[in-house]
Amino acid sequence: DSHIQYEQVGADVTMKCGSMDWDTAVTWTANGTDIDESHLNGSYLILKNVNLTQSGQYSCYESSSWHLKYQTYLRVGTPPKEPLLMCRSNNYPKGFYCSWHLPTPTYIPNSFNISVMHGTREMVCEKDIFPKNRCHIRYLQLFSTVKYKVTLTVTNALGKNSTTLTFDEFAIVKPDPPESVVAKPVPSNPRRLEVSWQNPSSWPDPESFPLKFFLRYRPLILDQWQHVELSDGTSHTITDAYAGKEYIIQVAAKDNDIGTWSDWSVAVHATPWTEEPKHLTTEAQVTETTSASTSSFIPPPTTKICDKGVVVRSGAVAVCWTAGLVLAAYGVFFI
Amino acid sequence: MAAAGSPSATLRRRDLRSRGIRLAGKMRSDVIDLLDAYMEQQGLDASVSVAAVEGVPAAAAEHWDEQTGTQRLLENLAAYRTFRALLAQMLEEQREQLGEADAALGRALAAVLLQVSAFIYHLEELLRLESRSPPSEEGTGPPLAPHLSLFERKLRGLGVLRELAQWAVRSVRDLRQLAKASPGSSSAPSPAESP
Repeated sequence: DSHIQYEQVGADVTMKCGSMDWDTAVTWTANGTDIDESHLNGSYLILKNVNLTQSGQYSCYESSSWHLKYQTYLRVGTPPKEPLLMCRSNNYPKGFYCSWHLPTPTYIPNSFNISVMHGTREMVCEKDIFPKNRCHIRYLQLFSTVKYKVTLTVTNALGKNSTTLTFDEFAIVKPDPPESVVAKPVPSNPRRLEVSWQNPSSWPDPESFPLKFFLRYRPLILDQWQHVELSDGTSHTITDAYAGKEYIIQVAAKDNDIGTWSDWSVAVHATPWTEEPKHLTTEAQVTETTSASTSSFIPPPTTKICDKGVVVRSGAVAVCWTAGLVLAAYGVFFI
Repeated sequence: MAAAGSPSATLRRRDLRSRGIRLAGKMRSDVIDLLDAYMEQQGLDASVSVAAVEGVPAAAAEHWDEQTGTQRLLENLAAYRTFRALLAQMLEEQREQLGEADAALGRALAAVLLQVSAFIYHLEELLRLESRSPPSEEGTGPPLAPHLSLFERKLRGLGVLRELAQWAVRSVRDLRQLAKASPGSSSAPSPAESP
């Protein structure tokens, strides 16, 4: 006969050799290895203060015949601690899901039971195949002020524990992050980055349940984020990027009216457009003669805002009069 | 009156819907502020649970996504007309209870009442554009105020405001559904609507 025996870490375990008398000579093995006689009391095996490493197959043989008289599989573990439960609606208004896990492993099999009450009405939480510790509920009512009460009970051979979550319909609404975030430089615009994204695919009806967005961006070299909140549209042009600096950009989403912000999207990187250097010497001279009010704004050596016939020579570099005005304006801006 | 499918009716409908959405959004935000002030003034805790209060239109809807545009407008209209009467009653009780002691709360209640009236106007106009006359208000007078203790009246007031806040969210969604069902033109039902 083969059994499974569950024992708690730290317990003292006594194993009987089936129906053998106490004074029968027996040999015990653990995973095929003989156990020292010092652990025996007659034909009983005594394991004191068991630990996890002592899990395994224990067999008892009658010494004279070497017949197997008893076999058991010892599983050492712990009763479950209070489980961690969370519920969220990322597909409002279709429904919500709840997922759970144990804060520490029990090392033995656990079973979970979840109950969802909406007022006095019991709702069915359909278990997901994957991941296993998740189930989902379809809303039967919308805009209800009646709270939902979700109770999760975890049970194993050594004990049980439970936790309860109470919430209202709006509070758990949290979309998934926006998808397909793309950031591109804007040609001829050294301070702009064009960012676009899509609604999360899990959000079923963005037309009737529109999302609003939060964009954050910073140059890699700085720690401080800039933030922009956008109440509609799935694109935005950053207009105050530092020229030539690589940026990191992320977007989050929220239902326009209820719930909480999503996690941040996957980060994208982009660098604003910069002019391709044509002649290295020209580049150096342009940098030197540029206004000292900012070191990061480098005007292109040729500019399309030149009037063809109006050119003022400044040093070895030809700078158009109108371009000069633009430079002056930028210089004032940065003071 | 412009014909239901005419371009001017379409524009008017779109205008009423978008203004209605903005109004409902503002109403919700003001009702939530009012709720905080009300609970504080009435000495109620945020965790107080109020069972469904008789006579207060519940925002909860089953099969909400299957409703026709007209059903949405009619349900909204009936609800807000009731809220108008309930808020008027609360305002009066407020004045009786406290006199001028908490004028700010009274003013906030009156402001919300005004917004509810404005929203009712939007709903009635949208119904007329659907070639439906809004149902008359005869026989839907102020709900009979059962004799309630002061505490019961406080809880009732809490229930009214909570449900109104919920309705404000629902109304925004309802108006957006209307826009979806008839994006450009007439009151012709969308394929999702039952004939």
